[in-house]
Amino acid sequence: MSTSTLGTPTPTPGVACAPAARRRPGTLRRMLRTTALVAFALAFLFPFYYMFIGSLQAEPDTSPAGAFPTGGLTLDNYREINTEINLLRSLLNSGIFTGGAILGTVVFGVLAGYALAQLSFRGRGALFGLVLLVQVVPFQLLLIPLYVLIVRGYGLADSYLGMILPFAINTTAVFVFRQFFLQLPADLFAAARVDGASELRILWSVALPLVRPALLTVVLLTFIGPWNEFLWPFLITKQTDMQPLAVSLANYLSNVAARAANPYGAILAGACVLAAPAVALFIAFQKHFTSTNIGSGVKG
Amino acid sequence: MKRTVPAALLVLSLGLTSACSDGGSDAEADSSAKGPITIWLSNNKEELAWGTAMVEAWNSQHADQKVTAQEIPAGKSSEEVIGAAITAGNAPCLIFNTAPAAVPQFQKQGGLVALDDFEGAKGYIDQRTGSAAEQYKSPDGKYYQMPWKANPVMIVYNKAIMQKAGVDSENPPLGTYAEFLDTSRKIKSSGAAQAAIYPSPTSQFFQSWFDFYPLFIAETGGKQLVEDGKAQLNSAEGQRVAEFWKTLYAEGLAPKEQYNGDSFGEGKAAMAIVGPWAIAVYSDTIKWGLKPVPTSAGKPAAETKTFSDAKNAAMYSSCQRRGTAWEVLKFATSQEQDGALLKATGQMPLRTDLTATYADFFTQKPAYRDFADQAGRTVEVPNVPNSITIWQTFRDAYSESVIFGKRPVADAFGDAAQKVDGLAGQR
Amino acid sequence: MSVRLTRGTHQHPGRRPVTALLGRHPVGLALIAPYAAFIVLVFAYPLGFAVWISFHDYFFAAPGAQVDRPFVGLENYRAVIGDPGVRQAFGNILVFLLINVPLTAVLALTLAVALNRSIRGRTFLRVAYYVPYVTASVAVVGVWLFLFSSDGLVNRVLGPLAPDPSWLVNETLAMPLIAVFVAWKQLGFFILLYLAALQTVPKELYESAAVDGATAWQRFRSVTVPAVRPATTLVVILATITGANLFTEPYLLTGGGGPNGASTSPVLLMYQRGIEQGAPDVAAAIGVLLVVGVVTVSMINRRLLERP
Repeated sequence: MSTSTLGTPTPTPGVACAPAARRRPGTLRRMLRTTALVAFALAFLFPFYYMFIGSLQAEPDTSPAGAFPTGGLTLDNYREINTEINLLRSLLNSGIFTGGAILGTVVFGVLAGYALAQLSFRGRGALFGLVLLVQVVPFQLLLIPLYVLIVRGYGLADSYLGMILPFAINTTAVFVFRQFFLQLPADLFAAARVDGASELRILWSVALPLVRPALLTVVLLTFIGPWNEFLWPFLITKQTDMQPLAVSLANYLSNVAARAANPYGAILAGACVLAAPAVALFIAFQKHFTSTNIGSGVKG
Repeated sequence: MKRTVPAALLVLSLGLTSACSDGGSDAEADSSAKGPITIWLSNNKEELAWGTAMVEAWNSQHADQKVTAQEIPAGKSSEEVIGAAITAGNAPCLIFNTAPAAVPQFQKQGGLVALDDFEGAKGYIDQRTGSAAEQYKSPDGKYYQMPWKANPVMIVYNKAIMQKAGVDSENPPLGTYAEFLDTSRKIKSSGAAQAAIYPSPTSQFFQSWFDFYPLFIAETGGKQLVEDGKAQLNSAEGQRVAEFWKTLYAEGLAPKEQYNGDSFGEGKAAMAIVGPWAIAVYSDTIKWGLKPVPTSAGKPAAETKTFSDAKNAAMYSSCQRRGTAWEVLKFATSQEQDGALLKATGQMPLRTDLTATYADFFTQKPAYRDFADQAGRTVEVPNVPNSITIWQTFRDAYSESVIFGKRPVADAFGDAAQKVDGLAGQR
Repeated sequence: MSVRLTRGTHQHPGRRPVTALLGRHPVGLALIAPYAAFIVLVFAYPLGFAVWISFHDYFFAAPGAQVDRPFVGLENYRAVIGDPGVRQAFGNILVFLLINVPLTAVLALTLAVALNRSIRGRTFLRVAYYVPYVTASVAVVGVWLFLFSSDGLVNRVLGPLAPDPSWLVNETLAMPLIAVFVAWKQLGFFILLYLAALQTVPKELYESAAVDGATAWQRFRSVTVPAVRPATTLVVILATITGANLFTEPYLLTGGGGPNGASTSPVLLMYQRGIEQGAPDVAAAIGVLLVVGVVTVSMINRRLLERP
């Protein structure tokens, strides 16, 4: 099965820098390595594949042969979701919620990460400790006090802002940015400072371009949190036309699907709908990770 | 400096704490105040359809007291949502999805309004629900919930599987424990189904309501898990029920592993413990029959009690226009609306003489008659402090001794009973 | 406090008063201010509140409700530490971390290095490793339940080698299986981190190592591993933190911490006690202990890994 699927992916044209000229005895080893990678990738992909197939089946088939159906596939499970929830509206809400969260995450994260990594100022250690603390605290501990604060203290029930607020800073992002700014040589910044550039300017025109992979990484990584989040947006909004896709789907799963003709298929279809935009986003952006020129750029 | 920043933050946040917990105290709400109110409905499709129609009917007659309906999840996260809303003070006036097991906690939080404050309320409840209403009273003798609707549980069986196993599919012997076990063994050994019965073996506190508790109620003739502040689980009856389930698990007649799907609907299990909602779900695909839950001696169906699995309606203390809320509550539980609920959802309104009151419905849909009959003989979860902690404590002991057989039942139940006594005795 | 900073400040003995007061780059305070303000606005209150709760006999009440919440000192902590269930949960999480963190770090780095080469079908491979990370847990758990159930695909392939009792109801195997599941689910995240880090490793380092005749393994050990050390610190700390906050998997995959409590995690207990059972004081005490534990472990990790 590994060979048949191997044909499907299209090799990215962007990675043409493959040194075909250096054909050494290592070719066999490289082929072995590729095979191992593909086999591993298929193992990773299998549950997802299985989920997708399950979402297309009219009846759940849990036998091993059921994983490779020869027919009887249907879009009914998806059709059912589409009639039950307003996909467009939910997607729009998800977009606003996730977009707001990412914007906050990137802006606050870059500023804080840069300061923590490359600047020395009073209280930096304490602040780093604080960042760590925020990351460590389990959400379940804060859930109800946070809800009370945002709803009663700030009066943000049934609003996008209330939904976004707890997600607008993401400590993982601060960590990621800090580590990437740490990797950049300090001389680079020292030189810019000697030239009299302001810190914001250095950050904007020297540091940021160099950590573009980190920027994309943060967007792709933090996208998932708010995108899949169920409980918080649900607590904050009771109006169905404000609920993001994850909430609509969870509602759908918790009661409608249990009565559906094929509840298992309905759950899997819901998960596919939720995952598809994230996978699409990843495919769209993934080639930007590979610009290998950055390495030499740093050296300069 | 390193130490002072977090310390300063802590002081600041403590300041916020006291500021916030003092704020927002509502003036004593008037129990006759009228005006527009908000209510929450369970978002399950059929209930939502009923609720929307009910609200429309109300609004068409009360232009100055409009009701706005919003949805909360039907599943188990509804208690979290309600708990958070109580704390934040933005709970609606009425929630038509209040689990009796959560009422003691909501009451302790100061989140519920005692319905006895309204004139004629006690009489209304007692008259509508009859003596069954008694078990929804809180320890202080007041009603903090309006008994609304039940899903009395029974044993449903798959006739085709019974036939395949060589069992009389019209009247399978399931009355006594011996008969039930015998039938289960036939199902398993004939290969007619992978499992005789497949209750969820997971550790969530509420799972016992659908395996141990109905059989315990039947065996004891209607005892609650806790009575007069004392745990009843370690009685001779409790141990008999536990040993019965233990046998099912030990012989593999009931699997120990959770199933990610509908074991009965998919034909993996020959039987299931279900409420009347099952009729709509299975009627198209499965030929099924109903039996009361088994007892060791095989009590006749007319004497077998079971778990009610009720959801009630309650008024929340953040409600300002309580006069309207009370009128809406009465409107929504009127004979007419109860009939509409029964038709829309198949769930049994908690009122006396169901079958006589809605004779037409039960003539048209005789399948529901057994459940309606059973609805007259139901027992609720005990209304005691720490209710959910008690159920979790019991579930842990049950899981250890009955499902996984790691400890003798008497030991585990003895320990659990002691803990439960302590929990039920608090405040 | 990083070692770097200490060294940096010592290099400039003759400082101006502003420097002495605010550090060498006071502008750093301005850059971090929005973040710090945010923390104060959104997290400080709930967090401080949680700590406060853990020292009181507390429950959440409606606004205006008259309730008594006496200070009880360490009573909640004593109850938590004396509870065998809580001790078991902390033990479980330790098992989890010991398996999950090394597995995650090693696999993520290996795969990132492999994926960073120009190989055929790289897009496909990257997507494959990323997909489990983006998929909602509910669905993925469903598939794993099927794969690892008693008569699931895995046991059928293993035949007579299949464990008895099966994976998810086996007290010794449940937690390790969850550790593997989480590694699988989160690996895409950590591969991305490493991939991004690898972009900043100067290519010249590899070239000079190759000129010196280093084998692929030697180049990996002497160039790649040291170059991505900051990323490794990050991966280890983040994996530890996500692992310590384990909740969804025991909640869904083993049905609430089964079998028989063998996969209960501290956060699952916090959820049960604090949110389901209405005892936030006990839950907060568990949370504070967990936070203290994780911060300690993270600090030690950072010391060990960031030291050049």
